[in-house]
Amino acid sequence: MGTAKSFSVRRFSYRRIIEHWLYAAVFMALVITGLAQKFYFLDASKRLIMGLGGIDSVRLIHRLAGVLLIYLTAQNILAGLCGVMLKKWKPNMIIRKKDFTDAVEDLRYYFGATEAPASCGRYSYKQKFEYWGILTGAVLMMATGLVLWFPAFAASYLPGEVIPAAKALHSNHALLIFLIISVWHIYNSIFSPEVFPLDTSMITGYISRKRMVEEHPLELAEMEGAGESVHAGKNVPPFNPGSDETGMKTS
Amino acid sequence: MEAGMKKEEKIKIKIKNSLKVFFAVLAVLLAAMAFLSGAARGQERADEDGEKCLGCHGKREMTKKLREGRMTVARIDEKAFRASAHGFLSCRDCHEGLFPPGGRHPSSRFRSREQFEARYSRICRRCHPDRQLREKGVHNDVLEKESGGQTPVCTDCHSAHSMKPAPRGRILTAEEIYCMGCHSRPLSMTFKRDEAMPVDVDVREIKSSVHSSLGCSDCHYGFSSQEHPVRNFKTRRDYVIASSDNCRRCHFDKYAQNLESTHNIILSKGNLKAPVCSDCHGSHATARIAREKTVIARRCRGCHTAVYEKYARSVHGRALLEEGNLDVPACTDCHPAHNIKDPFTLSYRERTPEMCANCHGNKAIASRYGLSVDVVKTYLTDFHGVTLGFYRDQKGESYRPGRPIAVCTDCHGSHEIKGTLGPDAAVLKANLVRACARCHAGATANFPDAWLSHYGPSLRNAPLVFIVNLAYRIFIPVMLTGLFLQILLHIWRYAVNR
Repeated sequence: MGTAKSFSVRRFSYRRIIEHWLYAAVFMALVITGLAQKFYFLDASKRLIMGLGGIDSVRLIHRLAGVLLIYLTAQNILAGLCGVMLKKWKPNMIIRKKDFTDAVEDLRYYFGATEAPASCGRYSYKQKFEYWGILTGAVLMMATGLVLWFPAFAASYLPGEVIPAAKALHSNHALLIFLIISVWHIYNSIFSPEVFPLDTSMITGYISRKRMVEEHPLELAEMEGAGESVHAGKNVPPFNPGSDETGMKTS
Repeated sequence: MEAGMKKEEKIKIKIKNSLKVFFAVLAVLLAAMAFLSGAARGQERADEDGEKCLGCHGKREMTKKLREGRMTVARIDEKAFRASAHGFLSCRDCHEGLFPPGGRHPSSRFRSREQFEARYSRICRRCHPDRQLREKGVHNDVLEKESGGQTPVCTDCHSAHSMKPAPRGRILTAEEIYCMGCHSRPLSMTFKRDEAMPVDVDVREIKSSVHSSLGCSDCHYGFSSQEHPVRNFKTRRDYVIASSDNCRRCHFDKYAQNLESTHNIILSKGNLKAPVCSDCHGSHATARIAREKTVIARRCRGCHTAVYEKYARSVHGRALLEEGNLDVPACTDCHPAHNIKDPFTLSYRERTPEMCANCHGNKAIASRYGLSVDVVKTYLTDFHGVTLGFYRDQKGESYRPGRPIAVCTDCHGSHEIKGTLGPDAAVLKANLVRACARCHAGATANFPDAWLSHYGPSLRNAPLVFIVNLAYRIFIPVMLTGLFLQILLHIWRYAVNR
């Protein structure tokens, strides 16, 4: 009692944390080996490719990482679907009308038209934008990546032009995702004044109650309304790494 | 009886054989004497003879009484002779009969002046062969007479000792005169195991070659008026190969390049058919073939007949051979002559785009035929070209490319290359599926469309690719600007609230 966790709320289970960092590692491997191929004419790319054992091995690494990405994405979708269908999780990630009004409200707040920012549930519209952006992007990258990996097979069902189009999509969208992650996600989890120097929730799995109040007030209210006390210093939420999504039981 | 006859015959044969041996030895001795005496004559023999002979024959009153009783002038105007076309010759070069071994001046042997002149006209023809005479129509009569058994007299038209040099004619150097004394006549060189090779030389061939200023011994070193070493070659080919070493003395750079050439490599492995210098350049008639693409192509044809036939039917070959177009490549443009490399190696293959780009990436050349120089760029920036670029860089490293990557010739062909415009385009397209399938197993008729045929994507050509690229070119900056604005607003609000 009285530990740091007393002021915190469990936000992510170990499974989700491991999933996140695996995804991050695979993503980085893909970005490094992929962008080096997209910008093959740069000296840095050449050095990197030669350092990794030549273009053939870089392509092999990229494809193996791609297979891992397919696996991680598939299990994420399956876990999400099962979790929701078996009523273990609430469908928190679904985009609702409220997300759009929240975005407008936040803009109004930034310009000083309202006193407070939009009050969000478990996932804010920004987080939903990122999640769905990455998920749809990943699916697009996998589809186009497979076309590029097996072009002859793809061309036996589709017109040949699909292959250069897939290449254009693959490389352009990769750049887009990379820029979004490196600008938006890195800002939100490192440089944003609310979390600086680092948002540790994806490392420890806990988020401070203060931040819950500021960033996820609706979720906090729901948790407290459900009778599970998260008040500081009292009733520490049960430590239950086996359960998904949050430390609390939603059923 | 029969046995007795046989004995007699045997004796006869024995006598015949011993006579043969005797004459053979005699012939050898005579030849050796002739050779020695020839060698003993120094280089100064022209002057020596001149002094000795002109001592008498330079005098004004010098006359000669012929056997029939008439007198004839035997005086030589030394000044006019030295200035003449034959001024560098010595007396004995023409008047060889007047120099018997004893050193005594022979007494008159001529019946008449006509007989004397006819005899010497035959000596003129040693250095002035039919081929030379035929160059001027005025000699037709002479040649006709000659073939009719008569002896035309050269001095009827050309004075003997004050012969003027022919306009644009060249005076032969003394060495050549010496060598040509024999080598202008039909001569041949024999080999242990092969047919004889003619070694008579047409001086004019040399004089019109790039080596016109060289003397015989410049190339045939070891040979001179003193030395004529006997060399033994098994075959004519052995002699030709050994002789090609002569070129090294001046053309050392080419010699060094050639050491690493595929021709030299297969030669050193024992394939004597591999070409040496003279097989391509000729020997005495060496011309500047680098300027003559047609000549080059035909030289290569000598051995590479099948390839030449293919080339002659290709878009390049037809332009060169039928239209005389020099923009197109001939053999040596892709297979550089002296350091010619094995074209079946990976490194040769990897240089292909570079070779094609020499012309197809050259705006000045390509624009003349309505060809786009983008063909090179579109290849180099696409999958295969990029891969090739890395494979080439990886060469020095320990890792090797997994497999050869497609280069220009894999789709277009090499020697049999067809145009991409006009009726041949359909053939190229039809062959493309097969070309793709060599690496891409299971490639179907759709598959070649994956390659945009050297065109950049546009609305007309590959609209799908064009639209995707355009959309992202707009979308990425818009999205990023939005995100940055959001971040700035966020920070600004945070700062204001504090």
